[in-house]
Amino acid sequence: MANSQGISGAAKQAALSAIVDGKTLKAALFLASASRGPSDATYSTTGELAASGNYTAGGASVTNGNTAGLTSTTAYWTPSASITWSNLTSSGSFDAVMIYSTTDSNRNIGVFTFGAQSVTAGNFSLTMPTNDSSTGLVRFA
Amino acid sequence: MQDEPLIFTSRGNLPIASLQYATRWEETPTYTKFVETYSLNGEVVRESAHVLGKKPLLSESIAQPM
Repeated sequence: MANSQGISGAAKQAALSAIVDGKTLKAALFLASASRGPSDATYSTTGELAASGNYTAGGASVTNGNTAGLTSTTAYWTPSASITWSNLTSSGSFDAVMIYSTTDSNRNIGVFTFGAQSVTAGNFSLTMPTNDSSTGLVRFA
Repeated sequence: MQDEPLIFTSRGNLPIASLQYATRWEETPTYTKFVETYSLNGEVVRESAHVLGKKPLLSESIAQPM
């Protein structure tokens, strides 16, 4: 059997664990005209939906009941519940959500896009994929 | 008096029967979205959307050869 090169799964899990385990997380929605993305180190109010129509600045709380998992050499994590907004009227068309950690000075964990959408006096929900090494919302492979 | 089902809209509570209901799906490799709208005389008075995330954010690690 030959030697192989690579970052250990344990290291990836430890890195992901430091980011998400036990953290207080929030999810903020951004207008399709905004420029949020992985280059954002922290949560930004620029381009966020206006605080109106039942949208609260900063977004909704993220249920964080999962800890970083590991299968083989892939670490993964997913919020443990859907993220929802009820009776929402968005201030415009939006297409992205940023999940960030208020525990860690609003560190941006990731931005997820889903196609431009407006909501009028309705509900908006983001259902999470299965929390495993193939479909977990955040994966370190 | 017979109760009539109402639904909350941008114009307040309206009878569901008076609204036009429509749905649509968006299917992409990264997400599936279900959108439902209620319209009154061509005006959308209630619109909800439900997104299922399918493709995770993937960060691939690299061990650089020395």
